[in-house]
Amino acid sequence: MKTSSSYTAIAYLFLAPALILMGIFTFWPVGFNTYLAFQDYSLADGTSTWNNFAHFKYIYGEELFHQAIKNSLLCLLVVPVIQLAALVVAKLVNDKLPFITLFRASYYIPVITAVSIAAVVWTNVYKYDGMLNLVLTWFLQKLHILAAGQVVDIQWIGDPKIAIFSVMGFVFWKGIGYYMVLYLAGLQAIPAEVEEAAVLDGANAWQRFWKITVPMVKPTILLCTLLSTIAALKIFQEVAVLTRGQSDTYTALFYVYAQAFQNYNFGRAAAASLVVTFFCMILAVVQFRFFGDKK
Amino acid sequence: MMKFKRSLALTAAVFAVTTMTAMAAEKTKIEFWSNSLSPKFDTVMKDLTGKFNASQGDIEAKWVDVDWDAFLPRLTASLAGGTAPDLVNLPKPWMDELAQKKLLLPITKQVAGFKGNYTQGALKDVTYEGDKQIYGMPWYQVTGVLFYNKELLTKAGVKEAPKSFTELLSVAKQVKEKTGVTGFAPKLNDGFAGWFLYDGLPVVKNGKAVFNSPEHVKLVEAFADAYKSGAIPKDAYKMGFEEQIAAFDGGKVAIFAEGAHALKRTQTDAPKIYAQTGVAPFPLARGKTPFGGYLFVWSVPKTSKHADAAVKLGQFLTSDDAQLAFAKASATFPSTNKALADAFFQAGAKSNDPVAKALSTAADSIKVTQTLTVSGLPDEAAMNKKLDEAVEAAITGRTPAKQALDEAAAYWNEKFSAKK
Repeated sequence: MKTSSSYTAIAYLFLAPALILMGIFTFWPVGFNTYLAFQDYSLADGTSTWNNFAHFKYIYGEELFHQAIKNSLLCLLVVPVIQLAALVVAKLVNDKLPFITLFRASYYIPVITAVSIAAVVWTNVYKYDGMLNLVLTWFLQKLHILAAGQVVDIQWIGDPKIAIFSVMGFVFWKGIGYYMVLYLAGLQAIPAEVEEAAVLDGANAWQRFWKITVPMVKPTILLCTLLSTIAALKIFQEVAVLTRGQSDTYTALFYVYAQAFQNYNFGRAAAASLVVTFFCMILAVVQFRFFGDKK
Repeated sequence: MMKFKRSLALTAAVFAVTTMTAMAAEKTKIEFWSNSLSPKFDTVMKDLTGKFNASQGDIEAKWVDVDWDAFLPRLTASLAGGTAPDLVNLPKPWMDELAQKKLLLPITKQVAGFKGNYTQGALKDVTYEGDKQIYGMPWYQVTGVLFYNKELLTKAGVKEAPKSFTELLSVAKQVKEKTGVTGFAPKLNDGFAGWFLYDGLPVVKNGKAVFNSPEHVKLVEAFADAYKSGAIPKDAYKMGFEEQIAAFDGGKVAIFAEGAHALKRTQTDAPKIYAQTGVAPFPLARGKTPFGGYLFVWSVPKTSKHADAAVKLGQFLTSDDAQLAFAKASATFPSTNKALADAFFQAGAKSNDPVAKALSTAADSIKVTQTLTVSGLPDEAAMNKKLDEAVEAAITGRTPAKQALDEAAAYWNEKFSAKK
């Protein structure tokens, strides 16, 4: 006869490998980072001293950090767009058509491509004499909106007014496949009878999508929204390769990186990253309120 | 008896092995990191490491190459963890930054005996301005040389390579007007402060930003004018080393400036363009140095437990012979007087081959070359960003130059006064 305490012990035993790894590589660094945020850390001798919130005071008044936070929050615009698009795409590839796995796989390819490689390719798409402008030129000339000699030469990642949106376009392309797969799993968990019943009741595709599909994948929506919100706030690599933070695309984590590895000011970097974490947590709470189960 | 002999032999063998291990263990093991040299220069680096180890009885050096992008994060992490190597290969601006943060060992005393071997310019570069101490042993260096597409220049009616920077910009404009091809691709994506220094204009003076004088404004306006007329590329700010070579190789840009090593790429990738490539020295402005000079040094991290051995290795790597061997393998330049005087660098003076010509042209320029960098800023990342954004806005015609520079200078001065 097993007692409940031995069940608990066994449960912890199974959790242990993951917990130990997470403890070392996640919890401890997060804890140390939080500690560093309140300290003046000297890389030269490894000492740290309490500095009375000096880092927070500094970044509170730092114009560049405000700009970085603004850009990171702006990146959140990509969240609803990517979620809706991923759900629609998942719905489309959920049919049992011939070659459907090919479509599913091709949407997923950007996800498994390394950010740095994909971004180099996209630099050539976004260049002022790059692919996007060439296609636009051809298209607009065909429509006779542009005269024969005229070309489109938009600086997609060079113009501060639009560069951040171009970055978001890249993030969208890169991420949609990931959420599509999650939604696909959610969709496949919906029993076919429900949909069939709705069809019998005379509901059209539009109604079935909003009245059946969306409510039934709500837990997946919460998960995906949460993940993509955090991913949007954490945009760094994309910017580092596409624009190097130029043209008003400096994001919060870019600031963190620059403070740590260009200025060697790890305390300030820790404080800035704590602020980003704070934003992540607020948004997570809001999303749980919206999509979470109300009990 | 036989048994005894065998055990005696065994004991002797065991003894020999243990003493050998003990002797090996007594050797001082040092690790040194080069910067983005592998795999292209593996042969010469392994050769130099082997030679050093053979010449030393009690030091054993281990060579590690670290990629450019990973270098600073990895070095910083190892410094924080106390596992940093004993000798690191840094470009001059990084040496300044690390010296400012007190992460490098000042080696003024250690190099006193042999510092006379290095060129004046190189020695000036390894002396950190903040405390006038030497923080590195000068190694290889490069300088900018002008490469131009002869056919495009002839088409534009330009008879000879520009002799001054003003002329360079006007030639670029002329090429654009006459041929439709962009004239000159200046290096702008590494920051603009270097261009001020190139023109002999100070960036910081007595702890204040001084880059908003009428002369500074004039220089930025000259770039803005070139940008507007299409004399410099519309995506100049997106162009690094690779992109500039690609544009030149593709016949999209008539003139660019780099070291001879860049032209080696044209030689293999675009033989037709290579055949019509002309070479000229980068014109000097009032800073009396070409643009594009860059010195690499060997520095000792403060955490090194074997600083003396590290300096010994640095001295070896930067000796005349070792520098000459590396320079020959890499189409760069040594930083010692004797190695620089080697006939190898002048061999191409009369040659028609662009790479050989570039090497001899650069060999003349290198003597006056300085690494153009501003160091000792309180919040370097943010300040450089502000300045570069302001100048970019001015050059691309979004903000008037005067206003852009005034704003950036105000931001810098705010940072300077916050530090006090």
